[in-house]
Amino acid sequence: MKISQKIVTNLKEGGSDFFLSVPCKLLANMISILENDKDIYYSAIPREEEGMGICAGAYLGNKLPCIMMQNTGIGNSVNSIVSLLQLYQIPVVFLISYRGTSGEPVGAQGGMASVTEDILNTLRIPMLHCNTEDDLDKISTFTNHAKVIESPVAILCNFNLMKDD
Amino acid sequence: MNRFELLNLLKETIKDELVICNIGLPSQELYKINDSPNYFYMLGSMGLASSIGLGLSLAIDRNVISIDGDGSVLMNMNTLATIGNRAPSNYTLLIVDNGSYGSTGDQKTFTNESTSLKDVAIGAGCKNVIECSGEETDENLKKALADKNNSYVIISKIQSGNVPIKPIPLNAVTIRDRFRKVIGLVPYL
Repeated sequence: MKISQKIVTNLKEGGSDFFLSVPCKLLANMISILENDKDIYYSAIPREEEGMGICAGAYLGNKLPCIMMQNTGIGNSVNSIVSLLQLYQIPVVFLISYRGTSGEPVGAQGGMASVTEDILNTLRIPMLHCNTEDDLDKISTFTNHAKVIESPVAILCNFNLMKDD
Repeated sequence: MNRFELLNLLKETIKDELVICNIGLPSQELYKINDSPNYFYMLGSMGLASSIGLGLSLAIDRNVISIDGDGSVLMNMNTLATIGNRAPSNYTLLIVDNGSYGSTGDQKTFTNESTSLKDVAIGAGCKNVIECSGEETDENLKKALADKNNSYVIISKIQSGNVPIKPIPLNAVTIRDRFRKVIGLVPYL
């Protein structure tokens, strides 16, 4: 719970006040924290691509949105990232549980893990890698960076960082 | 009645409202009828007009109308479940259901066969789902906007068909900024 709490606290410090999630076991604690947080908006949603649309609308209404999802969700969302968020220069923070990284027990997750960073690089989305607890201190500045550059940014939280939280 | 005639009919009702308008011909027709900074024209991401409007309605108190199409809702059908569970009372989804993919050459959609978006919306948990003719749409939209306690999904059943039209000359960031200025968020324009 300590890691999850630190991530949520830093996202909020960076300005995020509107949260969506498509579930992941590694995000479960963060989701519980957000469900009980009265200072922000939170909802689960069925699909990541839809979430990109909801986040875009929330930004038009002055929120700084954050969508929490597995890295697989990037694959579901490519056109909405390029033709909506980047076209209209809309900042959204992607908080990504990086399934398929070292420690992952499910072999099938390795496929999307092997292409996730290539996709984000191709899309020119700035990335923050979180491998240790100390890395989490960079999240609030990086969250604010999305707003400054009017662009989506991606925070990738490795399996081993999250697994025992 | 086709889409252009329907949008003309709604012109007065929506002229001061925040509207998220579907990609392609719906946006181009709305632009031609009565361009206004309170209209957010989608230039990409087919399927997400309903979602963008939902996100905006969750962020502010003003009424928000998403003008969507049957083909686009079919592409993002989970949106009806999210709307059914999360839409606030200031949100209205207007589905212009002409049974065809108008912007790509009027190929038929499944609402032209066995699919009822009204039944899907109700099954997905949407309240106040109204299916009506094009002629009845304006009065139903006025009712939805006046009701401060409920969100609405209006499915307007019209004919397919388009008018000759040009692409919208505005770029995306211009559309974004003038729209946000109406909400009061852009001091520099």
